[in-house]
Amino acid sequence: MTRRPAPKIAAYAGVAAVALLAGLALGRPEPVAVAAPLAVLVVAGLAAARDPELEVDATADRDRAIVGDQVVVEVRLRADRPVDRLELLLVVPPGLEGPSGPGRPWAAAVRLAAGEERTVPVTLGCRRWGAYRLGDLHLRAHDRFRLLTWEQRLDLRAPLKVFPEPQALRALVRPLETQVSTGNQVSRHRGEGIEFADIRPFLPGDRPRSINWRATARRGAPWVNERHPERTTDVVLFLDSFVDVHGERGSTLDLAVGAAASLAAAYLRQRDRVGLVGFGGFVQWLQPGSGQAALYRLLDTLMETQVFATVAWKGIRHLPPRTLPPKALIVALTPLLDERAVAALFDLLARGYDLAVVEVSPLAGAPAVGGGGLRRSPPEGQWEPLARRLWALERETLRHRYQRLGAAVVEWTEDAHLQQVLLEIEACRRHARIAPG
Amino acid sequence: MPAARPDRTRLACRAAALAVAAALALVPLARVDGPLRAALAWLAVLGLLLAAGAAWPLPSLLGPALVALLAEHTVVLLDGGDQVDAAAPLVGAGLLLYAELACWAQEARPAVRDEPAVTRARLAVLAACLAAALGLGAVLLLAAGLPGGDGLTRLGVGVVAATLSLGLLAAVARRTATRRR
Repeated sequence: MTRRPAPKIAAYAGVAAVALLAGLALGRPEPVAVAAPLAVLVVAGLAAARDPELEVDATADRDRAIVGDQVVVEVRLRADRPVDRLELLLVVPPGLEGPSGPGRPWAAAVRLAAGEERTVPVTLGCRRWGAYRLGDLHLRAHDRFRLLTWEQRLDLRAPLKVFPEPQALRALVRPLETQVSTGNQVSRHRGEGIEFADIRPFLPGDRPRSINWRATARRGAPWVNERHPERTTDVVLFLDSFVDVHGERGSTLDLAVGAAASLAAAYLRQRDRVGLVGFGGFVQWLQPGSGQAALYRLLDTLMETQVFATVAWKGIRHLPPRTLPPKALIVALTPLLDERAVAALFDLLARGYDLAVVEVSPLAGAPAVGGGGLRRSPPEGQWEPLARRLWALERETLRHRYQRLGAAVVEWTEDAHLQQVLLEIEACRRHARIAPG
Repeated sequence: MPAARPDRTRLACRAAALAVAAALALVPLARVDGPLRAALAWLAVLGLLLAAGAAWPLPSLLGPALVALLAEHTVVLLDGGDQVDAAAPLVGAGLLLYAELACWAQEARPAVRDEPAVTRARLAVLAACLAAALGLGAVLLLAAGLPGGDGLTRLGVGVVAATLSLGLLAAVARRTATRRR
C-alpha cells in the first residue's frame, strides 16, 4: 500500500509553529493556547497511526450471463487492525451498469474493527455482450484523525462473459448442399430418408418396402419411391468486425454478434456443424463443430470480438483451409462498409461457396427519403443529402453485384426481427440464379 | 449499503465550516472600536475569503485561512492589554472545528457513499478533539498564570518549550512522506 500524508498536516504544523513563535515574541500564552490543539492533534495522530492490515478478495456470483441479467460481485474484506474509513472503488467496465449508473465506478466507504470480516455486495447490470474482467478495485484507508491515507489497487480478475439475448428463430437459411453424415436437414439428393422425392422403375437391389404399389399397379411394372435423405450441413458464420457503426439503439457489431449467437444456437439445435470466422482487424476462426461444447466454444469466441483498427489488407487466404469446408453455407453478417470484407465475400463467391449476406444496415435509425430505402438525417448542409444519396446508390450497386453472382443480400435494419431477414434471404435464394456473363 | 447522501454531507460540512469561520472572523470585530475595527474588518474579510476557498475547491488555502483568523485574534489580544484572554481555548477549539469541517468537506466525495458507522465515528472523534482542545487550552492558560520565576526564567522556559514543540512537530512530520510498502 502507498501511504500519503493529508495536506492538513502541513497546515496544522505551520499554524502551530507560527502561533508558538507569536506567543514567544509577544510573551503571551493565548496564541499558544489557541494553536496547541492543532499541534497536539498532529503529533498524537501521527504517533498513533498504524499501517492497515487488509485482506481483500472479490468474486462474481457467476462467470456467464445474458444481456439484461444482474451479476453480484462480492467484495470480501478482512482487517487485522481497525480501519476507521476504508473507501472502496470498483471500476465498472463499459458495457456493465453499476449502482451509480452505466460505466460509472461504484464506490463506498466502510468502517472495519480489528479482526472484522465484511462482505460488500455490488450488483452490476449486464447491458452489452462481451468478455469482461471484474475486480479492478481501488482501496483507500484513512486513519482516525484523517492525517494519513493508504492507497492500493487490486486487480482481482474475476472473469465474466455476457452473451447476447438469443432470438427465437423458427426458420433458418437452408444450404444448397448438405454433407454426408445424417442430420436434420433434408438433402436435395435422393436416397434413404423420410421426405418423398420421386418414383422410378424398380432396380435389382431395391428394398421391397420402397415399392410404390399404386404406381406399380397403374404402370404394370414395379416402381419404387425415392426419398430425400436427412443430412447435416456445415454452416460458417462470417462476422465482419472491421467497422462498428453506432446507431440510436445499438451498433452494427452488437446486432451482428447477437444474430451470430442466435444463428449458431439454432443451427446447432438441428445438429448441424457450425463454424465461425471473425473477419476484421483481428481475424479469429473456429472450425465447424456440433453439440453443446461447440456452442459454448463459439459463444466464447464471439464474446472476444472487437473492432481492431488496422490498415493491413486481410483476405480469405489468411484463414486455414479447414475453416471453410466444401459445400458449407456461409452466412455473412456485415455492414458492407470495409473494402476488405467486401472483397473477401466476392472471393468466397468466386470459390463457389454458398453465400448468404445479412447486411447489418449502418443507415438504421434515420428517416427514409423516397421509396428506394434512401435515408437522410435533418439537413446539416446542402451537400449532405446528395452525398447520402450517392452513397446509398453505391451500396445498392454493391448489393446488385453480389446478387448477380448468386448471393442473396438482405438489408437488416434495427426495427426488423432477424427471423424476417432470414425469411427474406430464403425467398431470395429460392429464385436466385447466377446471371450469365 | 445504506442510501447515503454524499452531496448533502459535503454541503453540510461546507456550510458548517463557513459558519464557524464567520463566527471566528466576526466576533473579534465586536471587541474593538475605532480605526482598528476597520482594519480588522479587512482582515476578517480576507480570512473569510480564504476560509471559503479552503472549504471549497482549494484545500491548500487551509493554512493561510487559519493564520489569517489567528492573526485577527492576536490583534485583538494586543489591543486588550496585559489581561489574559479567557476565550483563547474557545478560539483554539473553533479553529480546529473549522479546519476539520473544511477537510471533511474535501473528503466527502459525491461518488463515495459512507456507511452511517463511518459518519458516527467521525463525529465522535471530532467531538472528542474539540473537548480535548478546550481542555488543553484551559490547562495552558492556567499554567501560564501560575506564579513562579522571574521574567527571564519564564522566557527561557518558553523558548525551550517552543523549540521542543517545533522539533517534535518536525520529527513527526518527517515520517509522513509518501511511502510504498
